[in-house]
Amino acid sequence: MENQLMSTVAPTGRVLNIQHFSTHDGPGIRTTVFLKGCPLRCKWCSNPESIHPKPELAYNLGKCTGKDQCGFCLKECPESAIFNVDSDTKVRINWDLCTNCGKCVPVCPPQALYLFGQEMTVDEVLDEVEQDSTFYRESGGGITLSGGECLIQADFAAGLLAGAHQRGINTAIETAFNVPWSFVGKVLPHVDVVLHDHKLTLPERHKKWTGVDNKLILENIKRAYETFPDKTFVARTPLIPGVNDDEEHIRAVLAFIKPYKNVVDYELLPYMRFGESKYGFLGRVYEMQDFNPPSPELLARLRAIIDEAFGRSGKPTQA
Amino acid sequence: MMIDRKRIAVNLGGGYVPGLNAVITGVVLAANELGWEVVGIRDGFDGLLFPGQYPEGGLIRLSPQIVENLASAAGAILGTAARNDPFHVRSVNAENQVEEVDRSDELLEMLKAEKIDAVISIVEGRALGILYKLARKGLKVVAVPKSVENDVAATMLSFGFNSALSYTTETLDRARQAAQSTRKIAVVEVLGEHAGWLALQSAMAVCADAALIPEVPYNLLKVADKLREKLKTGRTYGLVVVAEGAVPAVAPQPQAIPQTARSLRASLSPGATGDEGSHVIHRSGQAAETVALELQRLTNHETYPLVLGQLVKGGAPTPVDRQLGLGYGAGAVRALSENRVGVMVAFQPPELTFVPLAEAINKVRTVPSGSLFLQVARSLGISLGD
Repeated sequence: MENQLMSTVAPTGRVLNIQHFSTHDGPGIRTTVFLKGCPLRCKWCSNPESIHPKPELAYNLGKCTGKDQCGFCLKECPESAIFNVDSDTKVRINWDLCTNCGKCVPVCPPQALYLFGQEMTVDEVLDEVEQDSTFYRESGGGITLSGGECLIQADFAAGLLAGAHQRGINTAIETAFNVPWSFVGKVLPHVDVVLHDHKLTLPERHKKWTGVDNKLILENIKRAYETFPDKTFVARTPLIPGVNDDEEHIRAVLAFIKPYKNVVDYELLPYMRFGESKYGFLGRVYEMQDFNPPSPELLARLRAIIDEAFGRSGKPTQA
Repeated sequence: MMIDRKRIAVNLGGGYVPGLNAVITGVVLAANELGWEVVGIRDGFDGLLFPGQYPEGGLIRLSPQIVENLASAAGAILGTAARNDPFHVRSVNAENQVEEVDRSDELLEMLKAEKIDAVISIVEGRALGILYKLARKGLKVVAVPKSVENDVAATMLSFGFNSALSYTTETLDRARQAAQSTRKIAVVEVLGEHAGWLALQSAMAVCADAALIPEVPYNLLKVADKLREKLKTGRTYGLVVVAEGAVPAVAPQPQAIPQTARSLRASLSPGATGDEGSHVIHRSGQAAETVALELQRLTNHETYPLVLGQLVKGGAPTPVDRQLGLGYGAGAVRALSENRVGVMVAFQPPELTFVPLAEAINKVRTVPSGSLFLQVARSLGISLGD
């Protein structure tokens, strides 16, 4: 009954993106729904367009056809936030003046200007997700809510997941758990697989690289493991060079998760420069640009430690 | 006549630029002459917005004694703030959520509480928009533009540029010697996203083989021709200067995307994944790397990229930048004494003038196509890649 209520009267939410055929966001072939808004500011973030809770303007200079052929946006912007430099016909954005009103978006034929994020209802999202239900059935896949932080829009997330269950679709979420427990309590009953981050062990290092310490996060994770013994949890660490790519962190996470039988795996997600270009689109600076992804040797060594802890193979290989 | 005793603040947005301390000195000395008091706000506006971070106070009293030997010094006495934006101040709320909040009203109240009548803000051209918004909210502000790239419109010469030009020129001389010793073509990247003044003028100063600037889209075939010509005469090295914002005349074609990848495309936000190849990524070192690789292919001669990047923003100011800095600082105080607020100090020889911020924002001073510098460079045989 509660589920039914949620799918019919559930609120709208701000959706960044619906990505079909995801294979890295939980079991099987999945459709990942990215919700907008994040309470962390990880310096390596690969989805910077997901951070701001509201729809946000992005600009791909490469697609601009220039003021001589077009230039409608220059007239449309009420904040004088779009301008030209003398040496180039392509427009530029003054990000300090832009208010993300989006008035320039419909007048941009080449879609160089666009908004990240739009308001959608639960049914609108689920209708799109359900299109691939054959794939979910055959592969053991389903829907994954990601972000941003999907738990931030707790009512919407709960509505989506409950609705997915009603439609017979398996559910997963990707979360960092930095939200009030009441949000967690609202969403987790409707989740089958919980993919969650252990970014850094030490509170002060966590604060340095993500913006907050990990006290609330660890409390939530522990409480979630204990409150929902029947859910499947998968711990994950985005492996960032010089930040958390050390054995100490991996072993600390293993020590934290191992007492809980419902934590079935611990995955390492090597840092990639996925987000780099998107920072430019949003007028932001990517602070991690000078780092290379972790080496295959390091990854293998750290993964061997995890495999050993989960009893999957022999001793960790030597560095 | 009644003496109008003011208390003014000076602060810095963004990082250090040679001549910065001369501006602060100019402000303090000129204000002192008028009997005004000057305080410095530490780390942009952080000194006021985050008093807890400053046990000794977020404001520094700047007396003529304190700035006595400052004009020639390197280093930032007031500290720096990467982002100097009171409209988006990062903070953690009661629920442990990181968010950016608008604290501009609070900032204006704090300035009032500190009895600060006006603020002189030393910022980069692209940050003028923030001061413009603060001025619209009633802050009495005078902007002093800083730019080692000399790209601030309405100002013929920004302080910092001369020091950067000197350092770049000296480094290019060294790069040329290194190229000579190793028999390679050095491709040196210098700052300049929209404006190529630094690349062009430093290339002229060392008579480089080529100068590639944002204003003149380049064709590397032309540059390679020039280099080959010189290599044929027995010269075994080359020197190419590239501004970081230099772009090819013909953009590389987006790579064809396989059909399978297309189906994985984001369905709601086409821009989220974009079209590969049309991305414009501003990454330090990218221009030098691209040009060096392509020139190596085209000339069949070893090249190596070298990136000066932020290094040119360091060091002590040249005498020219000291004078300019002192002038800009004193000029900002003159603006306030004439009740000219919401303006930017601009150097238009032989005058220091005041440009309303509304007119100063959204403008970049680029190298015009008819520039004498371009003509001279061409006469010297420096290829511009066109």
